Amino acid sequence: MVMEPVFEEMEEPRIGVYVCHCGLNIAGSVDCEEVTKFAESLPHVVLSLDNRYTCSEQGQEQIKSDIKEHNLNRVVVASCSPRLHEPTFRKACEDAGLNKYLFEMANIREQCSWVHLHDRAAATEKAKDLVKMAVAKVALLRASEEMEVPIIRRALVIGGGVAGIQAALDLADTGYKVFLVEREPSIGGRMAQIDKTFPTMDCSICILAPKMSDVGHHPNIELISNSEVVGVSGYIGNFKVNVLKKPRYVTDDCTACGDCSPICPVIAPNEFDVGLAVRHGIYTPFAQAVPSTYIVDMEICLNKEGVIVCDKCIKECEREAIDFEMKPETLELDVGTIIVATGADVFDPSTLKDYGFGRYHDVITSLEFERLINAGGPSGGHLIRPSDMQIPKRVAFIQCVGSRSERSDKKYCSNVCCMNTIKDSLLIKEHWPETEIYVFYVDIRAFGKGFEDLYRRAKTGGVAFIRGLPAEIIEDRVDHKFWLIGENTLLNELYKINVDMVILSVGLEPQKDSDVIQRLLTLSRTQDGFFMEAHPKLRPVDAATGGIFFAGCAEGPKDIKDSVTQASAAAARSGILMARGRVTVEAITPIYDLEKCTACGLCTKVCPYNAVTLDKDLKRVDIVEAACGGCGTCAAECPFGALTQNHFTDTQIMAQIDAVTENDPEKKIVAFCCNWCSYAGADFAGVSRMQYPTNVRIIRTMCSGRVAPKFIERAFARGAGVVLVAGCHLGDCHYIDANYQTKKRVERFWKRMEAKKLDKERLQLLWATAAEGEKFASKIREIHSMLDKIKPKEIENAKKVFKTALGGS
Amino acid sequence: MPLRIWREPLDIDKVEHPEAEIHIIKERCKGCNFCIAFCPMKVLEESDEINEKGFHPPRVVDESKCVLCSFCSAVCPDFAIFVIEKAAETSEEEAEEIQLVEVAR
Repeated sequence: MVMEPVFEEMEEPRIGVYVCHCGLNIAGSVDCEEVTKFAESLPHVVLSLDNRYTCSEQGQEQIKSDIKEHNLNRVVVASCSPRLHEPTFRKACEDAGLNKYLFEMANIREQCSWVHLHDRAAATEKAKDLVKMAVAKVALLRASEEMEVPIIRRALVIGGGVAGIQAALDLADTGYKVFLVEREPSIGGRMAQIDKTFPTMDCSICILAPKMSDVGHHPNIELISNSEVVGVSGYIGNFKVNVLKKPRYVTDDCTACGDCSPICPVIAPNEFDVGLAVRHGIYTPFAQAVPSTYIVDMEICLNKEGVIVCDKCIKECEREAIDFEMKPETLELDVGTIIVATGADVFDPSTLKDYGFGRYHDVITSLEFERLINAGGPSGGHLIRPSDMQIPKRVAFIQCVGSRSERSDKKYCSNVCCMNTIKDSLLIKEHWPETEIYVFYVDIRAFGKGFEDLYRRAKTGGVAFIRGLPAEIIEDRVDHKFWLIGENTLLNELYKINVDMVILSVGLEPQKDSDVIQRLLTLSRTQDGFFMEAHPKLRPVDAATGGIFFAGCAEGPKDIKDSVTQASAAAARSGILMARGRVTVEAITPIYDLEKCTACGLCTKVCPYNAVTLDKDLKRVDIVEAACGGCGTCAAECPFGALTQNHFTDTQIMAQIDAVTENDPEKKIVAFCCNWCSYAGADFAGVSRMQYPTNVRIIRTMCSGRVAPKFIERAFARGAGVVLVAGCHLGDCHYIDANYQTKKRVERFWKRMEAKKLDKERLQLLWATAAEGEKFASKIREIHSMLDKIKPKEIENAKKVFKTALGGS
Repeated sequence: MPLRIWREPLDIDKVEHPEAEIHIIKERCKGCNFCIAFCPMKVLEESDEINEKGFHPPRVVDESKCVLCSFCSAVCPDFAIFVIEKAAETSEEEAEEIQLVEVAR
């Protein structure tokens, strides 16, 4: 929806200011009475009060009654961080009939009293400034209505591993229609390949198969296997998804009798058995596969050129279920929510040459082990050495292969390998008690319920745990056994151990094509490559993009229990949206002025959500508010002032800058901090009582990407000493990648300053997370020590260079 | 890098596949090379030999690779090639067929 600019005359602001003592938290280092008195003198302020606890029931009642009695149409509360109590006070305003967007907070606790405990006078001055900034902004605020978007009551689950299965079943049982898209011919994922599960030693496929078959039969689930998501458009509640359904060349008439497979003349390694067994060109991946049907591997089929060269399977099939004419089709699904359960891959250890995987036949991975020890596997459940099919007598497990390793560029812990190895060692002991087992580890992480018991069982059951990974595996030329050489870091001595077989406990890694899903769904990923959740603690299954949720290993390595837990959580989270049937979008979306727009399209390029699109014919941009995340980077990008962000408009931010720079601007730091990381980091410095100089004034934006060059110009034109732009670390942006625009703009500004022979040190850039309070504090200290060295001439030069920024906004 | 499949499957020897016996009636061949071009397993190649008609008939490179799809005999315009399963005992019908071929030669 495109909003035409509203130019109507605003009613005369009648502002009420409330200065909170917060017991002694604020009043201990800020003279609240003085701040209250000062506020009275500010324009449009009709009422200024101080109270002990504004957030208390009493304090809120006071605001409510004053709104009515004094006809207040704007409210400012100077107290703690808006991240804490903004919702409380907004609610109070709403209760009294005042639009919640006509409220503003001045953060005089976390960002003032707590960080300036020992300088009451300066802290009081700063508090006055913060109140002045809030009053300047609140006068310009506009009442806004939050938009409501309807939500389609259908869900898409991408990936049919145990997480996808659980999420699909939970949603389907709740009563929603679910599309489950699986890339492979069958659902089941990694769990189907595993023999037993820890710590209970349940048979993996025995507990999974009933769930798989439930998915196959559920009236609310449409299982789309052998298919991939190739396109996603739309936004929360209204996604349009394109799914490419690859042909199976076997119709639904297949009864999975299996007559076709043995006569098929071509074979390939079976992916399900990690290549340890063969399958035919027409096959079913494993006995319990769902959908229970066969598939033709067209890569190896003799008919791949499009000519029926071989018709053996066609002749054999009584049901005439084989159809080589089948073509790929694209399905279009309309869904309201999406659950990403794309799982993880397994690390390939052949890159670690010292372990000889890929060279030595009897060095296997833990996934291969699962297939060997599984009764349905290629060796009928016998742990055999691939080289001579003999049962090994001495076995070694090597942990952390492709985990916690700088060398393989996998710095994270894969979470499941320790317990998996312990389980595997017990399985060997169960079948062949005489086997000598050595486990080489870095740390054993047995942190889950029942894990320690299992670990103890393995230790007392005769499994030798040796701390220190072998440096190398050397094959004995005569008997083809292996020598493992390394250092036992507990005993501080070297070991040289001879074994028949080595099992590399390989780590989990992100799916190799997770960048495709990332791009399609506009997600972000952590440095490890797994998908990043909206908040690591409080929104662990939500994606930053609305309406998208994570389940299972796609979000990070986890075991079956955690995957299932997260899947149920994701189902519940998406169920909440669908049950409500509509969602409100915070009114911080762009405001568009068609008259100023030149249809240059710059804004469309920086929007992380593709919410702004260019209509070339009409020479305008279209804004899908429901898709907008509210970062405001489009507004910062627009060179013509055609876009601004509601509740963070250019005029409002300029007013805050002007308020800061009214007195002694050259001694002040104008800081722009993003709501999620750097502002939260500054709050954290306050909570931790980290002391820093008092001359910084923080202007909160939702994202550092909102900071337009004209804001910086304005600050310098008004004589500000230093401007600080602070955001989330690159890659950690709450708005996917909007802070890359911040970086670009600041770097461009530096170049401009250099060209104009200005001291570019006066524009500072900081990346700080919500936990990096000390980083924020030390940056302010660093800038403070620099401030004194800035010469008045330099300030004057900058004023001159940017003086055009003073005219209007 | 995801896990790469590199080893030979453990049960590769247990996979039953029929052994083929490829019969080429060289005299009938007119060297069109259809059989060579269409064989999905690339079992055949052109030989240096010259038949009575003055053409190069095909030659079997590796009989063990043949999967008995018999596409060669389907595409041969001159009925000059056919494949049978190498059985422990040749059936009467097949024996008769081979007999006929021998006679034709």
